[in-house]
Amino acid sequence: MTVVQMNQPKPLPLLSVRDLCVDYASRTGLKRAVDRVSFTLDANEVLGLAGESGSGKSTVAFAIARLHRPPAFITGGSVTLDGTDVLALKGENLRQWRWRDVSVVLQSAMNALNPLLTVQAQFTDLFKAHGVKHKAEILERSAELLRMVGIAPDRLLDYPHRFSGGMRQRLVIAMALALSPKLIIMDEPTTALDVVVQRELLEEVTILRKRLGFSILFITHDLALMSQFCDRIGIMLNGELVEMGPPLQMIEAPQHAYTRKLWNAIPPLHPPQTPPRRVLETAP
Amino acid sequence: MSPSLTSPILETRKLGMVFRGHRDVAALTDVSFQLYRGRALALVGESGSGKSTCAKILTRMMLSTGGQILFNGKDVTRPGDRREVLAYRAQVQMVFQDPFAALNPAHSVRHHLSRPLALHKPNLGYGEREDLTAELSLMVGLDPAETLDKYPHELSGGQRQRVNLARAMAVDPAVLIADEPTSMLDVSIRLNILDMFKPLKRDRGIAMLYITHDIATARYVAEETAVIYGGRIVEIGPTATIIDAPRHPYTRLLLAAVPEIGRPFGSADAGLVREADRVRAISREPGRLAEVAPGHLVRECSASFA
Repeated sequence: MTVVQMNQPKPLPLLSVRDLCVDYASRTGLKRAVDRVSFTLDANEVLGLAGESGSGKSTVAFAIARLHRPPAFITGGSVTLDGTDVLALKGENLRQWRWRDVSVVLQSAMNALNPLLTVQAQFTDLFKAHGVKHKAEILERSAELLRMVGIAPDRLLDYPHRFSGGMRQRLVIAMALALSPKLIIMDEPTTALDVVVQRELLEEVTILRKRLGFSILFITHDLALMSQFCDRIGIMLNGELVEMGPPLQMIEAPQHAYTRKLWNAIPPLHPPQTPPRRVLETAP
Repeated sequence: MSPSLTSPILETRKLGMVFRGHRDVAALTDVSFQLYRGRALALVGESGSGKSTCAKILTRMMLSTGGQILFNGKDVTRPGDRREVLAYRAQVQMVFQDPFAALNPAHSVRHHLSRPLALHKPNLGYGEREDLTAELSLMVGLDPAETLDKYPHELSGGQRQRVNLARAMAVDPAVLIADEPTSMLDVSIRLNILDMFKPLKRDRGIAMLYITHDIATARYVAEETAVIYGGRIVEIGPTATIIDAPRHPYTRLLLAAVPEIGRPFGSADAGLVREADRVRAISREPGRLAEVAPGHLVRECSASFA
């Protein structure tokens, strides 16, 4: 795990989210899904957002990548990434900004890959959309990306169904790295995978991050996994960010009752040796 | 109660399952375990390991292609006539992974609980059936007055899984098979569902097969644990021993990979994870299951890992 060196003056955060609000329009009116959420994310940092289904964690991620479509509306706040006012981006500027500055890895790799195209064709699409036109360069860069995530480059000509679940997610991560973005949003990237594959994949992401220096916004419901992978953890409840801090602080001294409830919901693997795992629940 | 003092309710002996196709797939090979009254066995494995195939065979949704199943000592590997199949099904009930798909959206909770009673206990009068339905609802922590007339879409995931458990318990089974009963539920309510199994074991003497990919919950639910990989049990024994002193490389790999506080990524204990492919390869070998301590069996394999 990389710890940001603190002996130099603190640089501006890479990502700054201020009072973000997202509403879903329905027949009965607006339903607030994200309510005045604020946080920052530094360069080279891994920030985790944890919460249960419906807590708004994915809605935050989608808002940062500007992926929302009606009936979801960003109704307030600001998002700044490396000096760019993200919520003001439009048209071609937005299209070019996506993937070049921010890429997204979602839970289901099979839904993110086109089953009718070879991996090579999908890399070609990606590069062409972002101005890389030379066939030889595209081939070379695709092969390099595959090598980076531990897949033999000769598999570029295979279709997605020829890969296992873990390898498909590696392909998606390779695509997410293609344009060297500053931030990769990972929304439950390993939830559909087995624990061993999950650990293998995230160990590799950890190594890649040290080498390439990108930041990650990591979204999961698995608090234990998050404590292993992230530099800081935020807890979402009913659209609000209720608590945020480094893993150790969140484990040993959680302030919010809901954070304590989430920890207590995880049965410890080694009960006697790890006393902090069972945090005392105080009366509300 | 030591298992050796009593005989198992349900037992498999060298159970095998081969799916025939243009390429045969051996989903289960040489799977032997025992389920005892008032105790739970956790079957821990990853997707494709064969754990759900095992559940399907034990609940008669599928017929095995090898080995034996014994129920109270009687060979029930091949189904008998309809009466025998019904009697077996009343004794061996199942709770499924998906609490949404397991309930009929067109029927009320009352229907889901009273229907098995009508089928398996036809002698009950209407009033008795109503009383039992209310009792089942209370047993799983649902207020009958509030819940029985609701439809599945009006319930939360946790409530639905409670209804599924009540439905399984309606026919008074001796064996409960729970296939990933909490993996589709929100984290904060998972333990509440698992907590409901404890009184069933203690007070009703239910023998349980708890199927999961999450070895940490195995410790919470089950006295014994079997780790299954590639259709073979690679290690079986008391849950605490399996977790605290694992012997088989695959069990150790699984434990090294389980998310746990205090073991950050990029640290030394990822060692075995880096050799995952090698561990997987040797874990597919058909070695002999050797008893390394009373009740603790480990499949022999050709390599060892530091």
